[in-house]
Amino acid sequence: MSAPPHSLLDPSIFASLESKLEEETQVRDTLSQIVQRLERAVATAQGLLSRVHSTPRSRYPALVAQVEAAVKEEALIISELEKVASQHPYYKYNHKWSRSIQNAIGTTIYCAWLGGFPAESSSSSPESTSKAPEIGRLLTLEEVGAIFSVPTNLKDRDAFHLTIEEYLLSLVDLTQDLSRLATNAVTLGDFQLPLTISAFVKDLFAGFQLLNLKNDIIRKRADSVKYEVKRVEDVVYDLSLRGLIQRPSAGDTEMESA
Amino acid sequence: MAGGTKRDYDGNARAKSTQELPRGRFHAMFENFRDELDEHYDRRERIIKASRDVTAQSKKIIFTLQRVKQPNKDFPKGIQQDIDTRLGEISKLLSGITADVQSINRYRYGFSLRCLEELVEALSFAHYLRHQTLITLEETQAAVPADIMLTPHDYMYGLFDLFGELMRFATVTTAQTGELVGDYERNISSDIQELGCAFEMLPQVPTKDFRSKMEVMRQSINKVEKLGYGLVVRGSERPKGWVPDMKDDDPRPASPV
Repeated sequence: MSAPPHSLLDPSIFASLESKLEEETQVRDTLSQIVQRLERAVATAQGLLSRVHSTPRSRYPALVAQVEAAVKEEALIISELEKVASQHPYYKYNHKWSRSIQNAIGTTIYCAWLGGFPAESSSSSPESTSKAPEIGRLLTLEEVGAIFSVPTNLKDRDAFHLTIEEYLLSLVDLTQDLSRLATNAVTLGDFQLPLTISAFVKDLFAGFQLLNLKNDIIRKRADSVKYEVKRVEDVVYDLSLRGLIQRPSAGDTEMESA
Repeated sequence: MAGGTKRDYDGNARAKSTQELPRGRFHAMFENFRDELDEHYDRRERIIKASRDVTAQSKKIIFTLQRVKQPNKDFPKGIQQDIDTRLGEISKLLSGITADVQSINRYRYGFSLRCLEELVEALSFAHYLRHQTLITLEETQAAVPADIMLTPHDYMYGLFDLFGELMRFATVTTAQTGELVGDYERNISSDIQELGCAFEMLPQVPTKDFRSKMEVMRQSINKVEKLGYGLVVRGSERPKGWVPDMKDDDPRPASPV
């Protein structure tokens, strides 16, 4: 087709737009496939984690070992995701994966909370076999990044990473599940765990209160943390009312001397 | 944050510390998050403000351009001056946020930076009026008075809005001159059709935004086609200065920006 001497548009304009749109479609498809697999891996880890509600504390280590393995599966897929995603502007496609990544972070910090992913050089008592894993430890964003072998909170270059927002949202999810766990621990006769959970959730709540949140998703989700705090407090209240636990913060309470 | 001081039964401020000293556990971490998030919120705020003003200036450029009577000529002095002043204004506004939208942050705040679409609309309209050709992405980028990268998305969605402007321009000039304006054996009706065909040939983007822009584009083309029809059918009877019914003239659903 011979272009008239003075034509409206240079055909290369739309040829280039077309190829860009096609590339975008391809990138989206590729990402969707990876994210789908990640979702399956996350679902597996979450499924395992849901067993914690009917697992006595003595059997946590066995459960945690399984979850750790599931998290490592997630890590493999995330590193695949990183390779593809880092070839494109991060915020152009991050909506494709941010929810799944948030959930993956959630499984990791929950696993660690239950005693998984022990800190590398447990400085305290190097001899003691890690028989009694520490319950209630919070992985930092950086530690999660290290487990997944991806960077966190990148600002100086445009590549795949875990964001603060994803981490904060996963903390909200964690408080939700812990408040459920507080109830179920009591049912299994573990009256101490609710105290650990209560202190932890309150600390997190205090943390969230430090943020100057705008009217966005984090605020909406973070607002729910106070209800979880309350639910756990109710459990602790029920227990202390019936004398089923020693009040942790001694002093004013009349501790039984025996 | 605002909650008052909790007091005990005797009215003494309750020592929050008993419950809240342990909060120190995550205090530092959350303070760090707060700083990071504040930085992000502040940056977004700056971008939104500048973007709103750039949008307003771009719209005014477009209004000015709609007063052009004849395409393919240098703009009248007043109009050119007006455009230059406003572009200067836009340049100032954009240079204030240039640092905020570099590298990873370009797409992060893409939504807040919607003014670029409006700017593309203005630049492409000016280019069409002056040259009767479609501005390229590179030419548009060169015309953006700031060191901010234009994405193909900005360009494409800006062009979508060009249809509405072409339609308005065609309507007014047809009423004034009694013919569809244009040179080079083309006129604005065939141009808008050709441009529409080019968009129709593009792979469809499965978003609501894209679909609605396409729909509005078709309506604009349709209106210009009706102008041509009107000229042929009742051209001779049309009293000078007759303006077609403009009641559903505004093609854009009231846009939030």
